[in-house]
Amino acid sequence: MADRDNGFEPELTLFTCNYCAYMAGDTAGALRLQYPANVKLVRLPCTGKIDVRYLLAAFEQGADGVYLIACPIGTCHHVRGNERARARVEFAKKILDQIGLGSERLEIFFASGGQGATYAMKAAEMTERVRQLGPNPLRKMAA
Amino acid sequence: MSPNGNGREVGAVLVIGGGVAGMRAAADLAETGLKVYLVESTAGLGGRVAQLGFMFPTHDCVLCRGSADHGYGCTRPSISPAFIDRNRHPNINVMTLTEVIDFQGQAGDFSVTLRRNPRHVDVDRCINCRLCSVVCPVKLPSEFQMGMAFRKAAYKAAPRAIPDAYVVERGPYCDDCGKCVSVCPTGAIDLDEQPWTEEIKVGAVILAVGYKVFDPTPLEEFGYGRYPNVVTPMQYERLASRSGPTEGIVARLSDGKLPKKIAWLQCIGSRDQEHPYCSSICCMFATKEAMLAKQRIGEEVDCRIFVMDERAFNKEYTKYYQRAQQTHGVKYTRCRVSAIREDPDTNDLILRYPAPPDPEKPEVSTELVEERFEMVVLATGVEPPARSAELARMLGIDLNEYGFCETDKFQPLQTSQPGVYVAGAFQSPKEIAETVFDAAGAAGEVMRIYHDALGGSPVPREYPFLGQVDDLPPERDVAGEPPRVGVFACGCGPVISHVVDVNQVATYAGSLPGVVHSATIPFACFPEGVAQIESAIAEHGLNRVVLAACSHRTHESLFQRTVRKCGLNPYLLEMTNIREHCAWVHDWEPAAATRKAKELVRMAVLRASGMTPIRRTPIRPFQRALILGGGVSGMTAALTIADAGYDVTLVERSDALGGNLRHIYYLAEGMSPQRLLRDLINRILGHHRIDVLTRSELTGLSGSLGQFRSQIETRAHSARGGGGEGEASTTEVECGAIIIATGGREGSTRSYLCGQDERVVTQLELEDWIAHQPEKVAGLEHLVMIQCVEADEVGYFYCSRTCCTSTMKNAIRAKMLNPDCQVTVLYKDIITYGFREQYYTEARRRGVLFVRYTDERPPLVEEADGRLRVKVSDPGLNDRPYLLSPDLISLSMPIVPSDRTAALAKLLKLPLSDEGFFLEADLKMRPMDFVSEGIYLCGMAHYPRFIEESIASAQAAAGRALTILSQDPLYIGGVIAEVEPLKCVGCLTCVRTCPFQIPELVYDRPGVGELGGHAWIDPGRCQGCGTCTGECPAAAIELVNYRDEQVLGEASWLGAWLPGDEGERQPEAAG
Repeated sequence: MADRDNGFEPELTLFTCNYCAYMAGDTAGALRLQYPANVKLVRLPCTGKIDVRYLLAAFEQGADGVYLIACPIGTCHHVRGNERARARVEFAKKILDQIGLGSERLEIFFASGGQGATYAMKAAEMTERVRQLGPNPLRKMAA
Repeated sequence: MSPNGNGREVGAVLVIGGGVAGMRAAADLAETGLKVYLVESTAGLGGRVAQLGFMFPTHDCVLCRGSADHGYGCTRPSISPAFIDRNRHPNINVMTLTEVIDFQGQAGDFSVTLRRNPRHVDVDRCINCRLCSVVCPVKLPSEFQMGMAFRKAAYKAAPRAIPDAYVVERGPYCDDCGKCVSVCPTGAIDLDEQPWTEEIKVGAVILAVGYKVFDPTPLEEFGYGRYPNVVTPMQYERLASRSGPTEGIVARLSDGKLPKKIAWLQCIGSRDQEHPYCSSICCMFATKEAMLAKQRIGEEVDCRIFVMDERAFNKEYTKYYQRAQQTHGVKYTRCRVSAIREDPDTNDLILRYPAPPDPEKPEVSTELVEERFEMVVLATGVEPPARSAELARMLGIDLNEYGFCETDKFQPLQTSQPGVYVAGAFQSPKEIAETVFDAAGAAGEVMRIYHDALGGSPVPREYPFLGQVDDLPPERDVAGEPPRVGVFACGCGPVISHVVDVNQVATYAGSLPGVVHSATIPFACFPEGVAQIESAIAEHGLNRVVLAACSHRTHESLFQRTVRKCGLNPYLLEMTNIREHCAWVHDWEPAAATRKAKELVRMAVLRASGMTPIRRTPIRPFQRALILGGGVSGMTAALTIADAGYDVTLVERSDALGGNLRHIYYLAEGMSPQRLLRDLINRILGHHRIDVLTRSELTGLSGSLGQFRSQIETRAHSARGGGGEGEASTTEVECGAIIIATGGREGSTRSYLCGQDERVVTQLELEDWIAHQPEKVAGLEHLVMIQCVEADEVGYFYCSRTCCTSTMKNAIRAKMLNPDCQVTVLYKDIITYGFREQYYTEARRRGVLFVRYTDERPPLVEEADGRLRVKVSDPGLNDRPYLLSPDLISLSMPIVPSDRTAALAKLLKLPLSDEGFFLEADLKMRPMDFVSEGIYLCGMAHYPRFIEESIASAQAAAGRALTILSQDPLYIGGVIAEVEPLKCVGCLTCVRTCPFQIPELVYDRPGVGELGGHAWIDPGRCQGCGTCTGECPAAAIELVNYRDEQVLGEASWLGAWLPGDEGERQPEAAG
């Protein structure tokens, strides 16, 4: 379990495809790999379905961090949906930097269906990263 | 065999072997309305392929691409969602732990006795909680991980096994302690279950029993089993696989360190005295494994492959082999290493092999060098499957001299027992793509002979595979109703509920807007649970259902069926996973897990509230296939489809049927190709269902899957009256499916004096001489054959696969005509794969000389004083130059795609490979399919291939086409992308973004601002990934079920979480 030093429990949104990445989550479950319960999952048919608007909407709606898990590059069920997703994440990162939210709050990872450990590790990694970054400033503005 | 309701015979087929071939064949047969018994001796489907993490040459796992069905997630180890337990195709009966013990009868009426071995676990009641495995005291090596991990006697073969359930192995190690029985929360385990026998009646059998990997243990000189760092390729595959014991880290078994220097020894159990054949796959998998080492461990890893001939002989394989050397620096050393020694201090391995050529010392060296490696992989070969002899005896089929299934060259999938077919490596060692061709081809053959039964058990694919439509009530129209959501939180016995407080989750759900009913269920997937959901839907008038339970991947279809049975569209169900994604991964923090479960349920309720029914569109496929190309492939495909009862239009560009077969006069195997040609043409011309259009070409095509409309242009015979000279007529052909069998032809070259000196001929010309002017060949004193000539048309080299065997065939004939003739073959790699190795052996036995050359120093052919002179250097003999003076040179020309292949591809909107051949949907799992469904590929239009391979691929393409033609109705659409024309500005972004080249601009209807033209996405082809929707700048494209208003609308569920900690802020609400 990641450390809880600063006492902040971030709330993260994870987008996965319906193929490798969701499957990796199932595999993590089957192997009973523990990871922080700070992550909720939005399942898309393919990470190629991700839209920059979805990423920004998640932050607007208060997510402290957002990440994607896609099939490993080259093994996308839809050939290169994951590559499009990566490009859109890069684009959204630029916007996050421009508006001062910071691109570190957004990330994309790649995992195959068997990589339950990678799936669990990324949840811990993102939780810790966002914990250090602190809460999404948009939340305070809304409150 | 009993007639079903619609009066057609219900045919049944037995498929033996649940690997990739058996699954492919079963899926195709089931689609055409035949019942299939899929019998597998182990506890789960998948076979050898399920253990492979990567496939050459693309390095993907791609099992999810095994079928065009989508939306069910990765189906590993399956090739189609049709095998997932709760989504099983109604026509497929999977029988695991089952063996055939008796076989009687004849084609059309076999009676088969099966022994069903006990699983000791009820698959329907196993919830995969793994408690049996936790308490089991017996620890055994895991077969799935090739002994590199442990399992219990109560175990699951792999995390995603099919059937998705545990198994208790009551072998000699199990002491019947009964702990598993008492711990099982659902009472699914019965240790007293006994084997039983079952008799089934089938009309045809497909043998897809695979192969056995050669066990190198008896070859003590290699130390396998004694030296820990000597591994088999299957062990290496598991180490490299992301689902392996190390999640993909290739580590030494002695100390877990990453090896920095790895050797592969080829032909262990192939091309030797005991196994005088080539295993066909090892060269490629060793190359793949070496590249994986470079990619996973680091480019600095030294990878060395000790090989005699690198046999890379399929589409894009030559390029792959070159990439291994040039990009990754994988090194190939030409020799056969005879022994391995180990350094006991480091467990490093020492190999001795001939010193590489040294330009400083021109004399032939006999020196040996020693080199140390940190890991050695023995590239073990392919042997006949374990029970093949027994099976052959029982089924009355012949085996060949190597112990594999005997088949006729012209009926490659037919065993010696009528009605029994073979597919995959049991026929001959072969790779996955060829195995899939065979499997679909064997299914095609069964459809052909069993045509009376096609469609006997139809399963409409409106919602695959919700079962027979006549069970289902009409769908209730919920449009206009406000959402009435029912939420069911499954406790999965103690499995979810011991971590997640499901009562709290259900109570919380009841407080959410739109929810009119919420409840917990002990086991939602059990009949009692399903009944509870059904009665709640009726009682509370629910129009949306949310199930908080396990993975949608395994259970969604079950609950879709449940809601559909209650008159709701199956897309009004939403599942959220509070087991794999919550209870199982947060069991240290029950409060946080419960909060997460509530948030997941909140998201699911919001999502469900925005859901609308999704329906697929029925169309009636035209009951005719269009086949392009009248060679052996096109004719075979035409006969398969016509015999199965559907019409065929066979289009041939030239004046006559036959293609390349017209120029082949004899074969290495000895049969008469001209007899085959006559037989095929006679059957084609005499078939009442086949229309033949010679001198014809496809000139136009519209429509898609099931309803293509094609224009065929026929050139008139210039000599005849009728239409004027050269005038063409056009025929319109409506067809449900199209098969491309346009083939290839011999390429041309200007090198090696070809076309400039009449003593330089091609192998085809030499074959013509041998057949028609043998005296000319008998008079030759020295014949030189040069392999791997590059075609001027292509501009780079790729293996044409058939030439080495043709060379052996012609060399042997030349030696037979004149044993004193010196025949010298200049080659790079001799590629006589499979049983064709025997002709290489035979040629050497007759005294044919083989001299190897390299790309760097190709042979030099020149004319001097009226004599031909050939200069060549063999690197195996210290590059010492040879000077030859032949009186004839024959060149092995490559096979290039037929003329105008590129134009045809453009017309059909299909991709081409780098070599210029048609490029299929997936190189491994779908070699005869395109992403554009309804169009299939076979023969040399796919890649150069032998006659028997062309026939098998043609039967495969025909079988695939029959799965479309036999659907009535055929359903298209579903979760696909749709363009809103009036928003579309025609910017072509979707055209560029789509990974499948599906969107196109249509100009006959208005787009934005009522201006002409907008993008159009063919519902018969769209794969539903949504990649275009994420990029459309005008937001004019929506993916059904993921519309913007569903994701971005009023509901805010993408961001912050609403449920407070431990539910203290939650209002109490009743269900």
